[in-house]
Amino acid sequence: MALTLISCKKSEVNSDGKIVVTFWHGMMASSVPALEGLIKKFEESHPGIKINAQTIPNGDAGIQKLMTSLQSGTAPDVSWIYSDYMEDLVTSNSIYKMSHFIDGENGLTKEDLADIYPSLITYASWRGELYSIPMEATNLALLYNKDLFRQAGLDPNHPPKDWDELLDYSRKLTLDKNKDGKFEQVGFFIPVFPATGSRNGWMVWQYRPFLWQAGGDFIEKDQSKVTYDSEAGIEALTLWQKLFQEQKLETFTSDFDMAFISKQLAMAMDGPWSLPRYKDLMKGIDWAFAPLPAGPAKQATIVGGEYLCIFKQSENPDAAWEFVKWISSPEAQAQWCMTSGYLPIRRSVKEIPEFKKYLEDNPNYKVFVDQMDVGQAELSIDYGAMQITQHIGEAIEGVTIGKRDVRTSLEKSAKKSNDLLKRARNK
Amino acid sequence: MAKYKKNKDGLAAAGFLTPTLIIFGTFILFPVFFSFYLSFQNWNAFSWEGSFVGFDNYTRMVQTKEFWDVLKNTLIYTIGTVPLNMIVSLMIAYGLNQKLKGKKFLRTLFFAPVVVSPVAAALIWRWLYDPNFGLINYSLGAVGIDAINWLNDPSAAMFALIGMGVWKTFGTNMVLFAAGLNAIPESYYEAATIDGAGAWSKFWNITIPLLSPTTFFIMVMSMIGSFQVFDIVYVLTSGGPLGSTKVLVFYIYEYAFKFTGEMGYASAVSYTLFALLFILTMVQVKFLKNKTAA
Repeated sequence: MALTLISCKKSEVNSDGKIVVTFWHGMMASSVPALEGLIKKFEESHPGIKINAQTIPNGDAGIQKLMTSLQSGTAPDVSWIYSDYMEDLVTSNSIYKMSHFIDGENGLTKEDLADIYPSLITYASWRGELYSIPMEATNLALLYNKDLFRQAGLDPNHPPKDWDELLDYSRKLTLDKNKDGKFEQVGFFIPVFPATGSRNGWMVWQYRPFLWQAGGDFIEKDQSKVTYDSEAGIEALTLWQKLFQEQKLETFTSDFDMAFISKQLAMAMDGPWSLPRYKDLMKGIDWAFAPLPAGPAKQATIVGGEYLCIFKQSENPDAAWEFVKWISSPEAQAQWCMTSGYLPIRRSVKEIPEFKKYLEDNPNYKVFVDQMDVGQAELSIDYGAMQITQHIGEAIEGVTIGKRDVRTSLEKSAKKSNDLLKRARNK
Repeated sequence: MAKYKKNKDGLAAAGFLTPTLIIFGTFILFPVFFSFYLSFQNWNAFSWEGSFVGFDNYTRMVQTKEFWDVLKNTLIYTIGTVPLNMIVSLMIAYGLNQKLKGKKFLRTLFFAPVVVSPVAAALIWRWLYDPNFGLINYSLGAVGIDAINWLNDPSAAMFALIGMGVWKTFGTNMVLFAAGLNAIPESYYEAATIDGAGAWSKFWNITIPLLSPTTFFIMVMSMIGSFQVFDIVYVLTSGGPLGSTKVLVFYIYEYAFKFTGEMGYASAVSYTLFALLFILTMVQVKFLKNKTAA
């Protein structure tokens, strides 16, 4: 519309004649130095391009910033996005299909693409079409305190390997030391936040592996209806309810990492992004990561990560692609992962000698890399992903804090999601 | 000649007003009308294309149970804050109207919550409400009341929100009441004293009736304000637990800025809120103004 007339596009070429590629990301402050190192390396090998990296907020605030920038014609060239945003970015025709670049002269080979973990490709796509390239992978593992294991008479080198052990260990590690009816130490942290709040996505993300471990999934492959209210879903949510209520987690108000550091918490789920931070924070604590316990059906963890998309408003999409492509190369990935604590998006990175040595030196990091093989991607929800995530969150919040019945809560949420899917189809 | 001069003045006035009018037009007038248009559209916030859907957004809203829940929460919040807010602010304004040492300092102190950033304030209140380390539970414990899990208990969270809401907004009303109290001539009180009226009688028979225009204004404004509460909800409870503190504007926010494909629906709810406030204010004007401003 007429808006293009009033949009004030900033110059895309700086005074040295270099092409400037604006790159938005929501990296944690502790990962920014690693990113700067990565960008420096890119700029050294690509003297004609300058990367202007800008931090944008995560979550709700990030999507609002993207929204305003698109409307005002000031979108970045490249941005870090979550798969939840994909539907709106694609349907509003804001981002390029990756095939536009991959099939071009400076493209990617079939082998390159096959080297990327398939779960990440699923996330990076919308309705089977690739719209972004993964920048890094993450997954969830079990963080535990070996000292507290020893004190409770548990073997510190035998973290819980299935749900029964998880429940059993949690009970043994939950202690009311002064018998005042409150727990001074909690075994395993179940993250429950308001479904309406900004941390809902984080809560549901951590719930997903449990559903898979029980053999369930979230949505039918053809997106016709949600399936998180299946028997497997009931089993998984019942476990969460049990853990939450037995440990009286409604009065547990500290952040889990702070509680872990102050030895009030023995086990929690956490991702590799915390590794660089923990090196300093966890001095004096004997901690380790272990794979997530297996459920009744199988072993599983959730794979995540952030994805790079290129905006159609970009004046230099090819330079932007050069940057995206370079980041996905095994060499760049190895450097990026070793400095940031993220996981590589490609299998072949494990063959790079430096990276091999890094894995040997960092057993906690290796736990995550090894878990990539059992890592699963959520089937990306094409329509109303944010709302469906909130429906799942409502069920989780309802059975834990609200002490509601698991089956009826899940059915109620699933009905809302299915109504939404039906409406989206009729759009 | 006179006519010419008049026009010249008009021109100058237009010149001075233009910047304000442009800003007002762009950031207030245009969005107001545009969102009305949007409320009849199915509109994805990322694009400029929408499709006309008639009254669909409105009918969907009326059929959604959540909308009614949210409306109920908003009403509870309003009923909880407005009277409490008015009583507290009148009491403090009345107290500060007496001959008192350090009056200015106290007035500043009571007004401070209004100017504190709502985000910073809510973070402090989160601590106050903490079930384990919070000052409020500690104080309740001292008089033998069991710890309340303020922000995680669906039946307590609304009270927590109301408490903070009153604290955050009574300062403005206090200032308005103070101005109203100052406007009451001293001679009325003197006459009443001569007639032998006591303090309570003076308050009830002079202060309250003469203050009624102010009271009416404050009631209307506080009600509009509490219907539109958002910031403290966002930071203190995020609408939880179990949606027990989700209010109308929070609901609009979710649909507009979180579920980005739903800008049209959010606009429809916004216009419903506008209509509700309009009707409520009209009712107040009709039924209360004549009585109070007599």
